[in-house]
Amino acid sequence: MDFQNRNNTANKFVCPSDRQLALRAKLKAGWSSSKTSEPLRPEEQEAIISVIRRNEEIEIAERQRVGRLVERVEKIKQHAVERGPNCCRLCGDAFGLLRPHRIICEDCRQAVCTKCSVDINIRYHTSERTREIWLCRICSETREMWKKSGAWFFKGLPKYDMPRSASATPTPTVTTGPGPGSIAGDMRAVQSCHGTPTRAGRVKKLTIRVNDSSSSSSNGSASGHSEPEDELDGAAMGGKMRPLGKLQREDSFRLRAYGSIRNFIDGGERKLSQSFFFGRQQSQHQQQQQHRNSECMDYDNISVSNASTVAQLRRESSFLRRGSISSSWSISDSSGSGNSATQSQSQSQSQSQSQAQAMTGHSQQHCRDPLLGWLEISISYRESFHSLDCTMVRARDLPAMDSAGLADPYCMLNIITPEAHAKYTRWQRTKTVHKTRNPEFNETLQFVGVEPEELGNSLLYVALFDDDKYGHDFLGAAKVCLSTVHSTSQYRISVPLGAEDQYSNVAEMSQNWPNGKMLLSLCYNTKRRALVVDVKQCINLMAMDSNGSSDPFVKLQLKPDAHKNKKHKTSVKWRTLNPIYNEEFYFEASPHDLNKEMLILTVWDKDLGKSNDFLGSLQLGAQSKGERLQQWLDCIRLPDHFHEKWHCLAADNPTH
Amino acid sequence: MAKTYDYLFKLLLIGDSGVGKTCILFRFSEDAFNTTFISTIGIDFKIRTIELDNKKIKLQIWDTAGQERFRTITTAYYRGAMGIMLVYDITQEKSFENIKNWIRNIEENASADVEKMLLGNKCELNDKRQVSKERGEQLAIEYGIKFMETSAKASINVEEAFLTLASDIKAKTEKRMEANNPPKGGHQLKLTESRPKDSWLSRCSLL
Repeated sequence: MDFQNRNNTANKFVCPSDRQLALRAKLKAGWSSSKTSEPLRPEEQEAIISVIRRNEEIEIAERQRVGRLVERVEKIKQHAVERGPNCCRLCGDAFGLLRPHRIICEDCRQAVCTKCSVDINIRYHTSERTREIWLCRICSETREMWKKSGAWFFKGLPKYDMPRSASATPTPTVTTGPGPGSIAGDMRAVQSCHGTPTRAGRVKKLTIRVNDSSSSSSNGSASGHSEPEDELDGAAMGGKMRPLGKLQREDSFRLRAYGSIRNFIDGGERKLSQSFFFGRQQSQHQQQQQHRNSECMDYDNISVSNASTVAQLRRESSFLRRGSISSSWSISDSSGSGNSATQSQSQSQSQSQSQAQAMTGHSQQHCRDPLLGWLEISISYRESFHSLDCTMVRARDLPAMDSAGLADPYCMLNIITPEAHAKYTRWQRTKTVHKTRNPEFNETLQFVGVEPEELGNSLLYVALFDDDKYGHDFLGAAKVCLSTVHSTSQYRISVPLGAEDQYSNVAEMSQNWPNGKMLLSLCYNTKRRALVVDVKQCINLMAMDSNGSSDPFVKLQLKPDAHKNKKHKTSVKWRTLNPIYNEEFYFEASPHDLNKEMLILTVWDKDLGKSNDFLGSLQLGAQSKGERLQQWLDCIRLPDHFHEKWHCLAADNPTH
Repeated sequence: MAKTYDYLFKLLLIGDSGVGKTCILFRFSEDAFNTTFISTIGIDFKIRTIELDNKKIKLQIWDTAGQERFRTITTAYYRGAMGIMLVYDITQEKSFENIKNWIRNIEENASADVEKMLLGNKCELNDKRQVSKERGEQLAIEYGIKFMETSAKASINVEEAFLTLASDIKAKTEKRMEANNPPKGGHQLKLTESRPKDSWLSRCSLL
């Protein structure tokens, strides 16, 4: 490696120069997304995968640590007596002359006794002087949790796993009683209930098989060809409901290298993505395939087959896990016990499982991201027209997006070229199927102008989003290699949906929001028992005035309002489409009220002498969906901290 | 039972290929040095737990490949990093010039309030020096970040650099907590707005 010899022309091992960067900027390929001719070699892939696996272990430990921190706070909250202003909030002792001294907590403004509080020194922002403040144990622990979990840095709690030992109750948060935590807990309970019937009702067996003919799969590297099989076992348990936490089905989580690597490498290294799930329906060789399955799991050493707890955890945490940067593993999911074919499989699985567990230890059981569902696609290529017909058949088990545990999914499709770019600037979009997590799309979209030679190294990319007035939340994405499409008439495949990546971001960006976006920070202030709304800034607002600009301001109101708060308004920012406000407003409300109320924000263009023009609106509340619902719930669940998010503005005026 | 710790800080080492990122990390984590050059494949990380103010801090330090062909992988790890070490080689002018590109790369990919630090490595090779210490300091001042000259081989300043970065992040944690919970719980914006006035008035009364 001639890294020493830097005088060579265009040394690609070093950081490119300004000129190169400028050129790349013109080509709309950032420095990071530079194209390199050299794909990763198998041994390099293996090295990277091993690092990612090591990291996964650390992340599990970290998630559990954060889970323990969260649990600790929840436990203290649970044990709080809350007898009223004359008693300590935590231990319930009454205050008096000979009784414990009364202290007001700095954060929650509630009365506590000296035993149940701590004093900390706080440095003033401006000077070196310190000041002593008292915090109740709940608030001090919350502060600690915020600090120790890294939430201070990521502006929100990172994903976590609740410790499993504490699960006499399915979700620890549900039992918090009338505290702020219960709302989110209830919400999840709702979600879980919705999750159960669909899972139990599923009569499909989905397995992934490693194709031996692929040379690369023998070394267990990222480029193993996999063929998902999708067959119907009518004999399985129909639509029977089973109690949560007692699923008999065996979930086998097989950690496959491609699952993780695709997040990182797909962009530049198409070799990996080419080998993505592909296959045709085939129901023979079942036994054989199962053997291979188990062999491959032996090899992987980290396959874990596990009962309901994991599935439950997965559902519990699906709200919190979205949008993480960590790798996602692909999961092979076999359902239907009582089926003879599956029994043999589960036997072989359990063998490999015991080995795997011995090798990897207990903690590996959580080693996966939530399964984002499955997508069934049918593809055909018509050579005479150079057109690719992609039929989105259906999707299964998509993540829930609203409080009722439903979503309004639609698909965005594009073709990813070997240069790792989207082929068409306009993404194809299916219709939205409303109020379901198992949509039947049955819609065919056509890509015209696809050359036969292009198919060999292109990918079909499908991103699923949730349709909402105030932003389209990501549900899952799938990639299908097109290399074998042209040889046969039609392919029908089931693909597991993966996490967000650069293409899904592109797809999201391609949907235009003419009304612009707003950065909003929410915080429930327990001291004042009020919702604090911090309107930070807006971008890309519509121009309404003849000078090509607007004079925007934001109106805020809570509806229906139990406390008869007045409506608020920000100041007017003159002649700008990207106003920065950073203005805070208080809405008095109890956490319980917030569960029913809706925060309505409308952006207006100030006009003198005539009526103001409407620029956009945003609604937030427990009836919201996706990220907006998450922000709302986070805000109630973790009070006294600001939760910041960007939101899209909608074109209709909800106050009219 | 895994070792317990109070904080987990994720740090990242970036810089051109061959400046000694891996050696710095190797020195810090194992206190050893290896003269043979093995180019890092994509990414790697090492763990070391340190103690600051009686708090156990687990440092997960990501070592990235300087080579451009791994850029897609390495940039994926920018976002999660709380601290970033920018490393250049004092015997390689080019690696120093590239620091500004790395900074730009950070701005593009890392989160906005990531703690940064500049390291001029191989400072034991004073006779082959191409970048003076002053220039390094100057650049660090320009970006408002801390600077140190280190040597993984002679074990100079490596430990100090990581400890400094870790304590800076920890200090930021404390500061952020106070900012997050404004002491009076009042109007945060008004507080910041009225502050300059206050200081002016107080100065006035002092005089």
